[in-house]
Amino acid sequence: MSATLLEIENLTKSFGGVHAVRNCTFSIPEGQVVGLIGPNGAGKSTVVDLVSGFGRPDSGSVRFAGEPIVGKRPDVISRLGLIRTFQTPREWRHLTVMDNVLLARRRFANESLWRSLTRARRIRRDEEKDRAVVRAILERFQLAELRNELADRLSGGQKRLLEFARIAAAEARLIILDEPMGGVNPVLGARIGEAVGHFAGEGRSVIVVEHNLPFIESTCHQVVVMDLGEVIAQGPFSGLRDNPRVVDAYLGMDQSHG
Amino acid sequence: MYWVSVFTEAGNFAILALGLDVVWGWGGDFDLMFYGYLALGSYMTFVLSIGKPTPPVEYIIGWHLPVLIAILLAIVVVVCLAAVIGAIALRNLRGIYFAVTTLGAVSALYLLVENYTPLFDGYNGVYGLINPGQSALNLTYNGYRIFFLVAVFVLLFLSYLLVQRLSRSPFGRMLRSVREDERAAAAYGRPIFFTKYRAYLFGAALAGLTGGLFAIFISAFNPSAWTPQELLVIYAAILVGGRGNPRGVILGVFVVYIGFIELTRYLPSPASRPDFGPALRQVLIGLAIILMLRFRPEGILRERPGLDTRPESAGRPPRGWVEALTGTARGAAAAPASQRAAGSSGLRSDEGATREGDASKAARRRAGQTGRAGDRE
Repeated sequence: MSATLLEIENLTKSFGGVHAVRNCTFSIPEGQVVGLIGPNGAGKSTVVDLVSGFGRPDSGSVRFAGEPIVGKRPDVISRLGLIRTFQTPREWRHLTVMDNVLLARRRFANESLWRSLTRARRIRRDEEKDRAVVRAILERFQLAELRNELADRLSGGQKRLLEFARIAAAEARLIILDEPMGGVNPVLGARIGEAVGHFAGEGRSVIVVEHNLPFIESTCHQVVVMDLGEVIAQGPFSGLRDNPRVVDAYLGMDQSHG
Repeated sequence: MYWVSVFTEAGNFAILALGLDVVWGWGGDFDLMFYGYLALGSYMTFVLSIGKPTPPVEYIIGWHLPVLIAILLAIVVVVCLAAVIGAIALRNLRGIYFAVTTLGAVSALYLLVENYTPLFDGYNGVYGLINPGQSALNLTYNGYRIFFLVAVFVLLFLSYLLVQRLSRSPFGRMLRSVREDERAAAAYGRPIFFTKYRAYLFGAALAGLTGGLFAIFISAFNPSAWTPQELLVIYAAILVGGRGNPRGVILGVFVVYIGFIELTRYLPSPASRPDFGPALRQVLIGLAIILMLRFRPEGILRERPGLDTRPESAGRPPRGWVEALTGTARGAAAAPASQRAAGSSGLRSDEGATREGDASKAARRRAGQTGRAGDRE
């Protein structure tokens, strides 16, 4: 068993009188892909927000690589090596595809206003290195030809790919994907699955929030199931079919629909 | 001499607009306090350089510093005020909330300056900075005015170089990413507030510089010399010239100031209605904004992102490029048609044309690559 990268303990958050997340406890091991599933309103996205700093829990703790991160700003948490996506791709629309991915390279030192003005040559040299890396990444996601286009002009599928190109460029330790398969066709879906496997192969941990169960089954090492703000099961996907609570809460509903 | 003064004023406003464009164009914050920074910079330059007030005139400080040092100190004071306003307004307020807060700030400043006479002599204002350094430079009055015009343009050019460098830098890119989508920028490690805050202080410094230059230019400054509304003309200039593009911003200022404000002075106005000219000017500026927003919302010169050129694509065109070009020309012609179909909202009528431009450029690039591939065989 590999070391634990993310530890969530007794996380609780309510909005008004609604308990969005209640005593949520689970952990993510290093280098594993973990699916976070549950019916709509189960609290999955809230957990993602709380972990990434976009929301503040009422109580509970989150440790990332041993460090408590509750109460830190999203950008501070991100700099520790945690990258999250949002349910819809959030590209920087009026920047080029190249600039979008260059930003994900996150060479923060060169972004100081003073350095930007005084160290132009040094910055250009660093940037040339980053551009080479980014070109290779864009090649992998078949976006190389479009690198000088504004991200605004990409199709929905290409925007998904751009999101993954940014994640690949960011080299994060933990990647949280919030519904990466939303509005994605099967061919693109297969490529997204490949990309997720690739990230895990590089030793990164991935949390996938997703409703597409075949995708979860094929990409995830284990699954955390939530319902009504609580974690009701955690373990390999195959074990879930026999868990009555899970079947009742989620799979059962799914079958009745299907 | 009239035109010297017109160009000096336009040059001054161009520096102001460059600063405002960093805040609004790149940062996306519609700041209505900005003219207040110009005013404060101007007042401070006066009270630091014209010496003790003689009663009944009263104002603070009253030092007798060389005017250049006075301007530098004025910039420091302006940045300090911007640091306070920015810390309040930029933290959580966006869009209309930010605009209203900064409008409140500039109104408060205006009322304070106008009514609290010990500060800058209230409604009468400060005066007495007449061609500083004229005798040292051994210039005539008119000679000094021309010298000052040149000095303003040199400073405008230096400001342009500074802003242009910042625009292309990682800082400029980061600031624009925060403008485009704050949450995504934060998710990739960018501090939203601190990024905007730094841009705000940088912009305010340029406003302070403009204020100092204005002090020399008009040699007197009082509340009738500045009202918060004047800022809207600067916004119009940025909009017309090209928001986010430093060259466009300078162009916009000259188009709006010289094209609209000055040239309309030559329009005949009936003797019975001497206010016809100024009124028409307002109408023309309003019309220009509407037309620009309708037909070219990105301005005369659009915001230009830095393009990525492959290192190997530089250099002489490889042999066989004519064949390659004609071979891909058909493909290039087909591409924009489909793109046009996808994006023909009708709102931005020029987009089809520019896309065609992009596509043919892409085709040429591709042509270069296939040509080289042919070489290797």
